[in-house]
Amino acid sequence: MRIDHVALLPGYAAATTAVLVLVLDLLFPGRRGVVLAGAAVGAAATAALAFGLALSGDEARFAFCGSACSFTVDGRAAALMGVFALVTLGVLGLSATTRAPMGEHCFLLACSMTGGVVLAGAADLITLIVALETLTLPLYVLVGLRRTLVSADAAVTFLVVSVVATAVSLLGAGLLYASTGAVHFGQMNAAAKDPSLRPLAVVGCVLLLGGLGFKVAAVPLHAWAPPTYDGAPLPVAAYLSTASKLGGVVALVYVSVEAVPFEHDVAVAALVVLALLTMTVGNLVALRQRRMVRLLAWSSIAQAGYILAALAVPDGGATALTYAVFFVALELAAFAAVVALRTPAPVEADARVLVPAGGAPAVPAAPARAPQVIDDGGTLADYAGAARGAPWRSAALVLALAGLAGLPPGIAGLFAKVAVVRSLVDSDATWLAVIVALNAVVGLAYYVRAGAGLFAPAEPGTPVRWPRPHWTIAVTTALIALVALAIGFAPQIVFDAAAAR
Amino acid sequence: MNAVLVAVLVIPALGALASVVIRSDRAGRVAGTVAAALSLVAAALLAVDRAPATGDRLSPWHQVDVAWVPAVQLRFHVGVDGVSYPLVVLTALLTLLCCLYSLWQVPGERNGRQLVALLLVVEVGIVGVFLALDLILFFVFFELVLLPMYAIIAGWGGPERRAAARKFVLYTLFGSVILLVGLLVVVTGANTADLVTLTESSTLGANAQRIAFVLLAVGFAVKSPLWPLHTWLPDAHTEAPTVGSVILAGVLLKMGTYGLLRIGVGVAPDGARWASPVLAGLAVAAILVGGLVCLAQTELKRLIAYSSVGHMGFVLLGIATLTTTGFQAALIGNLAHGVITGLLFFLAGAIKDRAHTGDLGQLGGLRETAPVLAGLLGFAAIASLGLPGLAGFWGEAFAVVAAVQRGWPVAAVLAALGGALAAAYFLRLLRRATHGPAAPAVVGLSPLHRFELAAWAPLVLLAIALGLVPALALTPSAHPVRGLTAVTHAD
Amino acid sequence: MNVALAAAMPLAPLAAALVGFLLRSRRSAAALAITATSAALLAAVILALRFDKPVSDGYRAADFVDLTVEFGVRVNGPTTLMALAVGAVALAVQVYSVTYLRDDDRYAPYAAQVSLFTAAMMTVVVASDLVQLLIGWEVMGICSYLLIGHDRRLPEAPRAAVKAFLVTRVGDVGFLLGIAVLGYHAGTFRIDDVLAHDYTGAQLTAACLLLLAGVAGKSAQFPLHTWLPDAMAGPTPISALIHAATMVAAGVYVVTQLFPLFAQAPAALTVLAVMAAITMLLGALAAMAQADIKRVLAWSTVSQLGYMTGALAVKAPGTAMFHLLTHAAFKALLFLAAGAVIHAVGSNLISVTGGLRRSMPATFAATTIGLAALAGLPPFSGFWSKEAILAAAMDEGTGPGWLVYVAGAATVALTGWYATSLWLQVFLGRPRSPAADHAHEPGPAMRYPVLLLAVPAALLGFAGLAGGFVDRLGPGAEEVGHLSAALVVPLGLALAGAAVAWVMWRRGRAADVPARALLADAFHLDAVQAAVVSRPVSALAGAVRRADETAVDGAVLGTGAAALRSGTVLAGAHRAALPRAAGAALGGALLLGLAAILLEWVR
Repeated sequence: MRIDHVALLPGYAAATTAVLVLVLDLLFPGRRGVVLAGAAVGAAATAALAFGLALSGDEARFAFCGSACSFTVDGRAAALMGVFALVTLGVLGLSATTRAPMGEHCFLLACSMTGGVVLAGAADLITLIVALETLTLPLYVLVGLRRTLVSADAAVTFLVVSVVATAVSLLGAGLLYASTGAVHFGQMNAAAKDPSLRPLAVVGCVLLLGGLGFKVAAVPLHAWAPPTYDGAPLPVAAYLSTASKLGGVVALVYVSVEAVPFEHDVAVAALVVLALLTMTVGNLVALRQRRMVRLLAWSSIAQAGYILAALAVPDGGATALTYAVFFVALELAAFAAVVALRTPAPVEADARVLVPAGGAPAVPAAPARAPQVIDDGGTLADYAGAARGAPWRSAALVLALAGLAGLPPGIAGLFAKVAVVRSLVDSDATWLAVIVALNAVVGLAYYVRAGAGLFAPAEPGTPVRWPRPHWTIAVTTALIALVALAIGFAPQIVFDAAAAR
Repeated sequence: MNAVLVAVLVIPALGALASVVIRSDRAGRVAGTVAAALSLVAAALLAVDRAPATGDRLSPWHQVDVAWVPAVQLRFHVGVDGVSYPLVVLTALLTLLCCLYSLWQVPGERNGRQLVALLLVVEVGIVGVFLALDLILFFVFFELVLLPMYAIIAGWGGPERRAAARKFVLYTLFGSVILLVGLLVVVTGANTADLVTLTESSTLGANAQRIAFVLLAVGFAVKSPLWPLHTWLPDAHTEAPTVGSVILAGVLLKMGTYGLLRIGVGVAPDGARWASPVLAGLAVAAILVGGLVCLAQTELKRLIAYSSVGHMGFVLLGIATLTTTGFQAALIGNLAHGVITGLLFFLAGAIKDRAHTGDLGQLGGLRETAPVLAGLLGFAAIASLGLPGLAGFWGEAFAVVAAVQRGWPVAAVLAALGGALAAAYFLRLLRRATHGPAAPAVVGLSPLHRFELAAWAPLVLLAIALGLVPALALTPSAHPVRGLTAVTHAD
Repeated sequence: MNVALAAAMPLAPLAAALVGFLLRSRRSAAALAITATSAALLAAVILALRFDKPVSDGYRAADFVDLTVEFGVRVNGPTTLMALAVGAVALAVQVYSVTYLRDDDRYAPYAAQVSLFTAAMMTVVVASDLVQLLIGWEVMGICSYLLIGHDRRLPEAPRAAVKAFLVTRVGDVGFLLGIAVLGYHAGTFRIDDVLAHDYTGAQLTAACLLLLAGVAGKSAQFPLHTWLPDAMAGPTPISALIHAATMVAAGVYVVTQLFPLFAQAPAALTVLAVMAAITMLLGALAAMAQADIKRVLAWSTVSQLGYMTGALAVKAPGTAMFHLLTHAAFKALLFLAAGAVIHAVGSNLISVTGGLRRSMPATFAATTIGLAALAGLPPFSGFWSKEAILAAAMDEGTGPGWLVYVAGAATVALTGWYATSLWLQVFLGRPRSPAADHAHEPGPAMRYPVLLLAVPAALLGFAGLAGGFVDRLGPGAEEVGHLSAALVVPLGLALAGAAVAWVMWRRGRAADVPARALLADAFHLDAVQAAVVSRPVSALAGAVRRADETAVDGAVLGTGAAALRSGTVLAGAHRAALPRAAGAALGGALLLGLAAILLEWVR
């Protein structure tokens, strides 16, 4: 059993972070800031180690090697580990004002991060599934931590559906093992020789892909996502739609591209079907959403469809990962902006200035309502007047939405679209490319609606104050937006990382 | 000079940034206008010390070529030649005029500096499209225009602005995603995105060329717009603010025709030859439908919008003939339409702002109450109906000549009849709007402001200059056009 | 030098026009316009005196790579004469208008428009390139449009203006296509090269027929003549300049310039002959029944243009040119004189005139000369040119020749009738209205142009006896100045017509012509045109608009709506409680499994 501990450094760092958080929470009870800071430092360290690994030398590192290795860290894996860590860092940055107990919150995020980091390096089915579950399990709790009926409901939905999903993918994995007698990606390919077992392998392969489809909320395995996102605290929703989705994509890429290429034609059929359903249903339903988070949820379903489309063509794996990374950046930016915009008004909100009905100069109104409690995404209408009241945060949200729609100024999204369409056209799936393209049009319809909502005049009677967000949230939002903007101008980094082996 | 080439793109961008960052509305507008003026100067400078025209089919006067995203074969490759130069200058000019106009008036006085900023961003996009010598880069700029234009319409437009802007953005995005697929078919097929290389020797197979050209043509047809993909245009024009309409008609549509000529014909010549009869048919249909709809149209801006459909029909007909005459006609037609329709929309805006209606039924007798405005409207209308001696003539007449040349007599006859239709509806417009007794709506109009006259005068002069000295536009493009037809080896 | 002179003829008025549009004061506007027109006329005179041999020069104005357009001048015999006529009439009209539009606050733009017209007409005269010619050709049209619509008091003016431009524009569709055909095959639009190029018969026939459409429009030939009578809504000087002397003659002039092409296209000439015959008769018949002085003259213009095209149809362009010149002189004279009459009695109606002989002697004398020339009575100019045309037609001998001759002869009689009738009704007898009673001569600025024009109207015919002049008319002018015994026929007919008119007038029944209504309305051709062209087109327009809005745009909106609706449906399907969500998920998974198995066994 050979173990290259350097390869495991990011994993160690992530796990340590979780422990560190627990300790800090014990030592400084109630000191939310300290705990948060500790978690952030841990995540940052993990990211640093991961990227350091990515940049150090180009030959892959291995761990847990018997006949074959269960853990491989090549440039791509290392970079992915870094991304997981960074996303977690970002979500932590947005968590300053979460109503959930900070200790648990940070601990669970750290655990989930650990799962992501390990997943990126997974080289056999078992590691893969275990890591994926490590990534997901803490989320059940995180979703529920808001301690409201909605969130409980959401948590349960999420839990039950995920259990089913895990069951399905385990079944698939089992069938694959049974039919090939191997779990290591490298070996399953060679092992499948017996034609009589072929159907078994096919079904296993498809069930496994299906099970993983849950994680990326691929239609018809998506129903859990919107209520869960909407029920969860905003930072957790952000994490769900970015880190956990990225995890699903990584798993799908590893499985479909590395593990079961011998069944690729079937995998392709399955993936194409999934892709078409996912992008179309996701976009169409998103058209009708009135709540910001649900809209983002459905849009992220549609986006998963594009990723699956990329996976459906030979060597679309790199493209899929590239797209996923661009998507994660933009989606996180969107959620960050939402969090920043949805900062609750200070409790001593008696003298809240209301938009007068007549459009006359604003006058202090009587405290008609109790200081409203904001800790969800709210409806699109709630954002009316944001562009005037909070121009920079609105700008960030517009940037993110534009990017998700694949349009400048969110050039990152544009390149993501170009990459996917390109790989489809390149492998003569032009028809699929056209469908993706047309879906992008439907997508713009609701992104534009969400974006235009920010510029709509605030209707009379609503608070015109857009309270300053907590400084960490402000900083994090700014940083994430800048990153999302920056990778638009230097996308080659992402393309290279996704292709690096 | 290459620095200038980049400056043409950077200056407006900085201007946009400045006018957003500056706190004071007035100062913001001024800053933006100054930037627009500078970029016009830069654009004009592009004509000096040109690189000598080589034998290449596409030999830029100046070019900059830097790698950007190898993964998608995207290079920052921009250059200017005789085909793009006039359009670049026109874009810079119209943007400047619109900024000037916005110095004086912004619809509803809704924060003008943002409007100016958006105008400048649109300028960056359009100029970029004309300068791009890399297909992917072309697409990036092509898309850059979309959201700012949406914002201009949705933010400063008329009562129905939201719906119109929505239709505009979705419809044109539809066009550009199809375009994207087409571009990528070319790029993956030829394994390069470099326009110079692609036009030099098209390595695409016949079949690939057909697929590519169809996709490209659809993409550009939406932008141009070509009947029957035009219906976003009237709504957008009717609801857009004056400056929006001017930019939209003046230069934004030209991205479609320019792209079709430079990329569609340039990189898929065989596909173009194969599809040209259909294209010509649609172009003629556009001419006739545009004319007839105008004849039955009762709203001023809608009428002008539909007239654009007809005029772009002539341009596309010129391109469809795949003859040098046709290409030259298309290019000068592009410019003429930009100048004249820009002017028309300025005037229509001035009338609507004053009379508070664009309904031809309620206008009338304008020459009694506002002789200068009426005179200018008359001039613009006459120019737009293609009167020989003014800019509009060359494009339309020679599109017809080109059709005769290509051996399409029917198309030629129908197009020429379309020209007669243009006269019919423009004279109808003048008769309704300017002649007869003064209608109540046009009584006591506020006098013309000097900013308005300043914004219009250059267009009037250009319309005359291009009419009397067409060489201004035709001479620079003669060489590149010869190259293009060498590719399509038409006749 | 000659080239420079020729170039000056259009450029001087053009400059005046461009500046003139910016002027406001009437004094400076008048000064500018008259100066520029005089300059053009002066240039024309010098050119006419200096002219020795045809010259042609120009520069490449537009480069369409495999086709080029040249701007330049091309001077030959007819050019010099035409330029003289245009310059003279234009100057006369500019001077005349200063008084005629004394109390019009839009005189300045009017003068500028007249200058622009002069420039355009001169361009047509000297153009060395078909496209350049087309530019002048259509700019003339737009000037005519602007000037017809000038008078704000006339409710029918705008309509008439639009009609005039549209009808001619329809003709110009053909003209443009004709030019396109010629230019494309010759590879250039230079007139000299086009004339030099040898086309196939089919090409020539096609091109010439197409050109004829344009000629018919500009020169008011049947069936595109309908705009000219309505154009009389324009100020009288405009009728004199544009709608009598110059623009309407441009079509004839262009054919004379391109005649070598037409000479090789017999089919086109036959069509032309038929067109001419119908036009001259139609015009004369309609002129007999008009109650409005200007409309009488307008219809007579139509009819006289018929003579010119007739001359072309019988291969006598020189003769056509001769009649064009004489007609320009006497018709301009008649219109300006009519203007004086209208000015005096304040109405266009013949019925309110009468007995103006005494009160307006000068105008009377001038009009008498003009009408005599129109009726073709010796020794006035019209007599010579008309004789030459009929003689040429007779010599031609072929079918078209006889057609033109017979129609021409018949028209002579009718012309004699209506010319005499008009003369008697307006100037003789006793005043039929108080206005006519108190009529008086207009001021000198209006009187002198009339008197000056009387000179050529009376004497231009004798120029036909001068060899040099005849040579300048161009080919086919052999008959000019040669009188033969055959002239007794038309002369007799003219006198007969005059006699009948006199008799009817003596009986006080000058006005009641047989089938008056039918003739007055020129055989209801307007109504026919409306029914066949205008109304169908506008109906079509309405239909197309509806189709465009419901069908084409409907499809677009429909797609959007459909997307939204399916979105609603799908969204509804997703408002699922927890168990259903889980069930759906599991179901989906199993579905995929089954699908895979099936797929597997299918293969």
